[in-house]
Amino acid sequence: MNTHHLLLDFVTWFVLCYFILLNGGYLLLNLLSLRTLRRKGQEEMLDELPRAYSGLEPPVSILVPAYNEEASIAASVRSMLQLTYAEYELVIVNDGSKDGTLEVLKREFGLLPFPEAYRRQIPTKDIRAIYRSTRSPNVRVIDKVNGGKADSLNAGINAARYPLFCGVDADSILQRDSLERVTQPFLRDPSVVATGGTIRIANGCEVAGGFLTKVGLPRNPWALFQVVEYLRAFLFGRLGWSAVNGMLIISGAFGVFRKDAVVSVGGYRSNTIGEDMELIVRLHRLLRARRQHYRIEFVPDPVCWTEAPEDLATLKNQRIRWQRGLAESLNANWGLFFSRNGGVPGWLAFPFMLLFEWLGPLVEMGGYLFMIVSFLMGAISWQAFSTFMFVAIGLGILLSASGLLLEEMSFHIYPRGKQLLALGLVVVLENLGYRQLNTWWRLIGLFRWATQKEASWGAMKRKGSLGT
Amino acid sequence: MTASVGILAARLGVPADPILAAAFWTGIAALLLTLLLGLEIVRLRMSLRARQRRETRALARWRPILNAAIVGDRPPQLPTLAPAERLHFIKLWVHLQASLRGEASAALNDIAGRLGLHLEARAMLGRRARSERLLAALMLGHLGDRQAWPQLLRLAGMDDPTLSLTALWALVRIDPQAAAEYLTPLFIEREDWAMSHVAGILQQAGRPVAAVLAGMLPRLGAERLPRALRIAEALRVELPAEALASALAASEVAVATAALRIVNTPLLQDAVRARLHDEDWQVRVQAAKALGRIGDRSDVERLVALLADREWWVRYRAAQALVELPWLKRPDLAALHATLEDRYAADMLAQVLAEQDAANAAPDTAPAPETA
Repeated sequence: MNTHHLLLDFVTWFVLCYFILLNGGYLLLNLLSLRTLRRKGQEEMLDELPRAYSGLEPPVSILVPAYNEEASIAASVRSMLQLTYAEYELVIVNDGSKDGTLEVLKREFGLLPFPEAYRRQIPTKDIRAIYRSTRSPNVRVIDKVNGGKADSLNAGINAARYPLFCGVDADSILQRDSLERVTQPFLRDPSVVATGGTIRIANGCEVAGGFLTKVGLPRNPWALFQVVEYLRAFLFGRLGWSAVNGMLIISGAFGVFRKDAVVSVGGYRSNTIGEDMELIVRLHRLLRARRQHYRIEFVPDPVCWTEAPEDLATLKNQRIRWQRGLAESLNANWGLFFSRNGGVPGWLAFPFMLLFEWLGPLVEMGGYLFMIVSFLMGAISWQAFSTFMFVAIGLGILLSASGLLLEEMSFHIYPRGKQLLALGLVVVLENLGYRQLNTWWRLIGLFRWATQKEASWGAMKRKGSLGT
Repeated sequence: MTASVGILAARLGVPADPILAAAFWTGIAALLLTLLLGLEIVRLRMSLRARQRRETRALARWRPILNAAIVGDRPPQLPTLAPAERLHFIKLWVHLQASLRGEASAALNDIAGRLGLHLEARAMLGRRARSERLLAALMLGHLGDRQAWPQLLRLAGMDDPTLSLTALWALVRIDPQAAAEYLTPLFIEREDWAMSHVAGILQQAGRPVAAVLAGMLPRLGAERLPRALRIAEALRVELPAEALASALAASEVAVATAALRIVNTPLLQDAVRARLHDEDWQVRVQAAKALGRIGDRSDVERLVALLADREWWVRYRAAQALVELPWLKRPDLAALHATLEDRYAADMLAQVLAEQDAANAAPDTAPAPETA
């Protein structure tokens, strides 16, 4: 056998094994999620019983960083004021908005300057003023010099009064009982330092008064693909890792943290795009290095709805940013990788992320290109080419279908048969182009990370019909 | 045999190359699994629909009867409860009971008794299905069924926190006195039981638990003492001063802070003052708060000194304690503010005075935050 053939065999084996390992890894996570969801289903009727507060629920500071949100900020704050929870405050951080965000807040909530002895635990850009609402005493607004989302969250942490804080995107639509659900692990286990919940796609749903009133599926195909993608990412991506305390990301759209733990690791890192993931990986790294017993948990309940991009350009930008964020988060925390006390995060989750999420686009896209080019050049047979496509796409469909199964086993958010059928179709269709396109965008993200362009607030083009 | 497998493989178009054959079979396995998952999804949806239909029918039949019973209209004859309706009925019954008291609750108990559901619930406690055991424990608790005590006690000892806490709730409902004696030590020991749930359960047995706790405190080690004190705090139990005195002097931060949170008698002023300059800022925070509750005029100076503490929370709580002292009026506080030379102390007192003004301007709104 000549070198050319040997090389061809090696690459073919490598690509095939990579695809099988990648999907096999996710299927294992799926099995872990199944167990958690089954137990949760058994406790469903307890959730439906009328709830009484004992007064011992930990109070929560909800931090809402806002940059140029004049159109939706008032409605968002009003809906957050209707959350069902024993005790919470809202700290809105105006990050030097260039529009009328601050003026809207002043007008709608009767803000007055407040002489607060601001506590600078984490360094941030300068604070211009602190306001307190005369209409809702649990609303404060921090007006600061522009410094990005992470800097705003750090300013919010400095101003937060309560032991837990919840980072929320200004345009997130929260379930009314979202705080109750996501703080449950903190009640049960004092070692819990962070929790996150499932984020769902709000496109196609009906929203009134800042709350979701009817669940529906979007008509836009890009948004529809993202519905299945989110099911996969949250219901077994995160839940599976959470079961073994190896979850490396909590979405910035909605996550609850123990404030002292976050302050002890230095707060959010402001020079990164993926500040949400970076914080979680750093928490793992530093708490493990200190040999501190801790847990980072995922609550599978759908607690937060977000508007997904519906046009290709915005979607592409979002995915590029996510991949850059992932690369930055892993790169900033190499100390966790196979570290002495790394446990599941250091010995399983980090290598998994590195191999399949960080390097994934390179190998996946390389694999597709290699197979196509080899086939076109006659280096591999049609049979080999079609077998590769069959297994790559087949495993992808299996993964998406398992996400849908978990959804049907647990929450069955989409009640109509037609919706289920549509999702079934999307499960197949998204593997015939959309996932490959995503891989390409992620590869661009990887390239941009390597060329190191500076991070800033991400401009998201939204329909904006949900926030008001 | 090998030859026939080879022929079958060739007919199916399986590649001869071992790499490709492995990939092909992996793809086939994925395809078959996907089909199975699809069928399972359809089955789940159909069974969900069937369950929902059964539930709707059961609720349509039983809800009017239970609603009538709640308002005092006791039905002379009850329809037969079909086996398929039992779980749905019990769920509805438990749900209604959760917000009822007195005669209305007793009327529902009467209906459950006439339907023989206490027997059914006891049987459900022994089944494998976790959801049925949870439901049964809730029902037996509402029924106050003493015969279920041994079964519930076994359930309460299980590792599963949801099951064990639900069983404990039922035990406390059935006999608060007996439950307090048996279970208070367990509540202190089981750290996996969320304090808010524990407090919620023990609310019904506040007095007996207080007596048991007071007896236990002197014997508890530093590991268990903080949780015991937190339970006492949650139940607003007044513990004897002598029981608290040693905890206030404890070297363990967790014990001292838990004791400071609960202290409410001027008899322990000196013990609290002794912790005002503790090395640990959390102890100083709680000492400042406690002095706000039990301090006298001589403590103003001590609290003013704490306004310049290096820790933000100590300064904040000291300022709050000063503002809450009944003999310090607004002009006194303004005069005090004017004399403060430390900028941090002056800023903090200004903030707390502004918070007080804001609270006074909106008397029906939430109080100032409570944290550290």
